[in-house]
Amino acid sequence: MNHYELLLSHIWIILQWQYLGPLLAGTVAGVIGGALPGVTITMTVIMVLPFTFGLDPLQGLAAMIGVYVGGSAGGSITASLIGIPGTPSAVATIFDGFPMTKKGEAGRSVWVGVWSALIGGALGGIVLIEFTGPFASLALEFGPWEFFSLFIFALTMVAGLVGKSVTKGLLSGVIGLAVTIVGPDPIMGVQRFTLGIHELDGGFPFLPVLIGIFAFAQLMPDVETIGTSAQPVADPNRKLSLRVSHLSVLWDIICRPFMLLWVTFIGIVIGVLPAIGGSAANIMAYDQAKKFSKRPEKFGTGIPEGIVASEASNSANVAGSLMMIMAFGIPGDAVTAVMMGGLTMHGIQPGPLFISQHPKIAYGIYAAYLVALPLMVAVIWAGSRAWIRIIMMPKSMLIPIVLVLCVIGAYALSNSMNGVYVLALFCVIGYAMVKARIPLAPLIIGVVLGDQIEANLIQAVATNADPWLFLTRPISGGLLLASVASVAFAVWQHRRENKRLAQAAEEEVDTDF
Amino acid sequence: MTLSRDGVAGLVCLAISLAMLALTWGLPPAVMVPIGPAFYPRVVVITLAALSLLLIWLDLSAARARAAAPPVAAAPSPPANYRLVLATFIEFGLYIVLLPLIGFRLSTFLFVVVLQVTLEWPQSNVRWALVVLIAVATSVLCHFIFEDYLSVLLPRGTWTGV
Repeated sequence: MNHYELLLSHIWIILQWQYLGPLLAGTVAGVIGGALPGVTITMTVIMVLPFTFGLDPLQGLAAMIGVYVGGSAGGSITASLIGIPGTPSAVATIFDGFPMTKKGEAGRSVWVGVWSALIGGALGGIVLIEFTGPFASLALEFGPWEFFSLFIFALTMVAGLVGKSVTKGLLSGVIGLAVTIVGPDPIMGVQRFTLGIHELDGGFPFLPVLIGIFAFAQLMPDVETIGTSAQPVADPNRKLSLRVSHLSVLWDIICRPFMLLWVTFIGIVIGVLPAIGGSAANIMAYDQAKKFSKRPEKFGTGIPEGIVASEASNSANVAGSLMMIMAFGIPGDAVTAVMMGGLTMHGIQPGPLFISQHPKIAYGIYAAYLVALPLMVAVIWAGSRAWIRIIMMPKSMLIPIVLVLCVIGAYALSNSMNGVYVLALFCVIGYAMVKARIPLAPLIIGVVLGDQIEANLIQAVATNADPWLFLTRPISGGLLLASVASVAFAVWQHRRENKRLAQAAEEEVDTDF
Repeated sequence: MTLSRDGVAGLVCLAISLAMLALTWGLPPAVMVPIGPAFYPRVVVITLAALSLLLIWLDLSAARARAAAPPVAAAPSPPANYRLVLATFIEFGLYIVLLPLIGFRLSTFLFVVVLQVTLEWPQSNVRWALVVLIAVATSVLCHFIFEDYLSVLLPRGTWTGV
């Protein structure tokens, strides 16, 4: 069977109830999780994860892809209706979505976002299907030197671009690497840093670490605001109609084809770049759409272009992230890091050989992604009356349930309390990092890539002990150079931003006098 | 001059990295490959120590700059309810302790009831009923789905046997 026949046959497989059920359930969970302020897509995929343990790998992946696609669009509902981003990847949707709702066009605001997500996602899907194979072929040319350098590049890029301090970003990434050096070394199996605790003989299990880091880090900031004046309030009895002419909404989107293609391209590229994610894609795409617009002064007043830019790029970003994980085994963001954990739990290692070794799973991912897009639209349409009530669900009810699911996820991994204790430890670490304003994404990437960085380093040195090969092999040297450049660029960018803020503060003081 | 939370974070990371560095001296030397089990961990913890020092230094520099600059009224930070955070941590810790002792169903029911009530005191009988209903549903549904459908054996209580 050729590429397209395989794709069609897997779409048919995904449409069977056995796979459609988990995909639908994941999409519903994703839309709800994405729409609930404070519950991110990462948190939702972590909650769904334990439900996938008993399923076959493709069923589990279908559920997680449903969450990813549904969550990306779900965030826009809250952003448009109440002006609070359901997820960080919907921040730019507020700029025009909420003003449009305030003008009495709530339905148009929500549906421009949803249809843009579908179109942007579909365009991203084409790139995912056509380019993942060539990307993987490119990755097959890589030796341990190149993989080592690529992982270092991924880590430095994330550390440099996430958060407000390059030092803290790098520190977070190295903390992630430090987590992976606990346990046996990859060659001799010598126990390191276990302090005689036998429960640590296998090292820290990846998923409880990830769940722990995100659970309290994402929930506790909400707990901090309960009962204070900082708690966001919205009127649950507000009457909002989502009725709209879908044809006119579609025309709003496709009447600017070049902008649509450009923001989709931005979304895909940001998705391919390790761990920057939708939170950057939607802002960058919005900024680009504004710069290239004939009416930039209208942005922020409730025009469809702003919503299209944010949502199309955000949805296309999912395809870019999936491409990176399938071709290189590098998670594009925290959600794909969890998905990667789910795959490794089933004994499947994403990377250059993934498509050739597991074609059923690889084409299943393509098919699930393509089916999830219209499913997401159907779910949002079917639940359109319920969204405003769901997004008003009290945090006091939601938080205990989320924590119980986190505990189950950590426990079910090995049917033992060890995972739960690791979860508790990393809950404390995650919250401490949030309070110290240290970004979490680099830590996660460090935890995901740490073992592979060490294994490739050892493999490279065992093959040829010359350390200069890391620099003299063209791709490896280029990637290491790019790592240094990405850190230097991040430092320059942060300094420029600080200088700009200082100047703005001085000017403000001057006007006071 | 006092350290801000950045400096404190740097100090904690520095202490951990130095402790880990000390532990690497007890690891055996390389046998099969040019680099042994201690090489990579040393690179990681030395980098961690260097970044921690840099964070402390940046924090001290910022503190000096703040001290030299004329005092500026700080923007009021949003209020934070740390009592609730502490209570959530304690209740979550107790839940984890009780889980293997009284089993999943009972401990989950208690945890969900207590945490809901802690986060928001129910103001009416209907709300109390809802709190209990959510706790029962969470406990029973999770048990049913994971044990009967997904073949995950949830913790049994050593005290209660359920």
